[in-house]
Amino acid sequence: MSSSKHYPMQFTGAGGEYFVIWIVNIALTLVTLGIYSAWAKVRTLRWFYGHTLLDNQAFSYLASPMQILKGRLIALAALVAYYATSYFAPMLAVLLLLAFFIAMPWIVVSGLRFHARMSAYRGLRFDFTGTLGEAAVIYILLPLLILPTLGLILPYMAYRQVRFVAGNTVYGQTAARYEGSLKPFWGVYLLAFALLVLPLVAVGYGFYQAYQLQAAGLPKEMAGAAAAASIGGGLIFFYLMLPIVSAMIMARTANLFYNATELGPVGFMSSQRARDLIWIYLSNLILVALTLGMFIPWAKVRLARYRAGHLTVSGPADLGQFTAGQQQGSTATGAEMADLFDLNLGLT
Amino acid sequence: MTCFSGELFDGVTSRAHPVTATLGDGTLHIEGDGIALAVPLGDVNVAPPVGAARGVVHLPQGRELHSTDLAALAQLTRARPTRSPERWARTLESRFGYALAALVVSVVVVFAGLRWGVPTASKLAAHTLPAGLDARIGKESLALMEKFSLNPSKLPAARRQAIAQRLAEQCRIQACPTHLLLFRDSQMFGPNAMALPGGAVVVTDALVKLSRHDDEVLAVIAHELGHVQHRHSLRLALQSIGAGVILVAVTGDISSVTDLAAGLPSLLLRSGYSRDMEREADAYALVWLKTACISSRRFAEILSRIDKSTSETNLLDSHPGTQERIQPFLAARGCT
Repeated sequence: MSSSKHYPMQFTGAGGEYFVIWIVNIALTLVTLGIYSAWAKVRTLRWFYGHTLLDNQAFSYLASPMQILKGRLIALAALVAYYATSYFAPMLAVLLLLAFFIAMPWIVVSGLRFHARMSAYRGLRFDFTGTLGEAAVIYILLPLLILPTLGLILPYMAYRQVRFVAGNTVYGQTAARYEGSLKPFWGVYLLAFALLVLPLVAVGYGFYQAYQLQAAGLPKEMAGAAAAASIGGGLIFFYLMLPIVSAMIMARTANLFYNATELGPVGFMSSQRARDLIWIYLSNLILVALTLGMFIPWAKVRLARYRAGHLTVSGPADLGQFTAGQQQGSTATGAEMADLFDLNLGLT
Repeated sequence: MTCFSGELFDGVTSRAHPVTATLGDGTLHIEGDGIALAVPLGDVNVAPPVGAARGVVHLPQGRELHSTDLAALAQLTRARPTRSPERWARTLESRFGYALAALVVSVVVVFAGLRWGVPTASKLAAHTLPAGLDARIGKESLALMEKFSLNPSKLPAARRQAIAQRLAEQCRIQACPTHLLLFRDSQMFGPNAMALPGGAVVVTDALVKLSRHDDEVLAVIAHELGHVQHRHSLRLALQSIGAGVILVAVTGDISSVTDLAAGLPSLLLRSGYSRDMEREADAYALVWLKTACISSRRFAEILSRIDKSTSETNLLDSHPGTQERIQPFLAARGCT
């Protein structure tokens, strides 16, 4: 029996340190008309990776700025083509959108693959082995079913996404296994649904009260004002609920992602709490707004520190026994497209 | 001589080998338990350091040398024949004063870019793009609007003709941009007029009905001609793209933290640009009406009838407040 050991993930970067890097990145990006943004991205990721420690070893980010720049330019050309045609020739834009939709599986897979291959730990790279076919099911077919099933497909879709990303990750030549089940995802999405319905119930109750007031003989205007107040209040409530619900989904999904993933002899324990993440998101949002964006670096560092602090790896007493796999080259086009079009790949 | 300790990963297994690295004779010597490597400096690739994050040196055959001795890594970088342009960034990041300067530069560039750069650039771009382009866009958007929100006009043909004739007369006397006057009935737009790219000017039935004199309708048309003359619809589209590019440059990789925070600024910007254009169109109308010998009060009158609240200008409005807009029209003198 080999002895098992717990390794807490650590994030050692400080907000002030990142602020300097962040502001220099912005200034140089602006002065070079955006070309520097590729270098900025690589520097930022190298900083975050270099400060993420496991068993006192840092992760390393391997992409070169030129790779990112090429991918960015291609993605940008696609975006400009879409913008231009949507304005000048809407029919052509619809065709482009369709082409983009069809290309989705490729964008997703190559994005995840690039991200994995450019990440290394202890000198061994990660890889991603998901297939285009599975990506097509998860990122085209299942989203198409959201409307016909009235959203009932959402838990299954989230489950498949997590399984796709976690289960196809490879470290060196050790492939990860995802052994989670669908059931807990239902819990997450039912809770989300309940939280979003709450404000609507408040609106309904307001209407009911307004009706009662009118029935009790109050003038119509007053009852109307009461109804308007409850609708307004309900809407504000609803919009406040949105970030809360998304933070809840993110925390729970991260836990479901890591806790059911095994990488050879290594297991993960993620203990993010929804209320912590909600607090971080809301306070970040307020501070970013109050400081006109100056708080952004601290906000990102806070989040990184929380995520690392709530992830523990359990494995053998010696993490030096993984071996390298075959590696091929990879281009950043898909990754940059996913970035530019703000696709959510289910990365947590 | 540069000498530092670190950990070597051979790229074959995940084992960390504690090593000592020494730089001498253009070669990096790496020595440790059972390890003796000599790597020519040309094959040593130091990942440009960022902040206090752990340094990584990439060696041939996928080997990585990790070290926390950033000073030694900096010396190693300097010893290498080729240099990364990132050393400039490193210098800027090294002093608080430089970072402060970067902050000032960023704020100035963003502000000036949004206030003057983007409008000027889109103005230039709009006037270099061929006119046929506008016409095509206008045709497409008109077709789209006619499908969803515009119906054929129910006004008496005589009334429409009278207004069209007055406009045509004026355009023989003074220069008008190429335009096409259209009357349409619309539930959605209410009393309104729109200038589409390419010169189509759509006047709603409700606007004609609200007017008490054909000159009032003509005054509104003059304002729309201002939009046509300055190619505003094309410019607004170009400007929102330009502003979007600047906002993306600032927020970098758009993340969920800043998504909500970026939404409001872009809305503010768009309405700000729109207000500037309304002012430009108003200025055009003022001159046009004066040349046409139509009292500019006509514009003020129909405008106050459309917007009874005569509101103040708000940050999120697409048009300046009516009170502010009608002022120059009330103050202007008639033609001589």
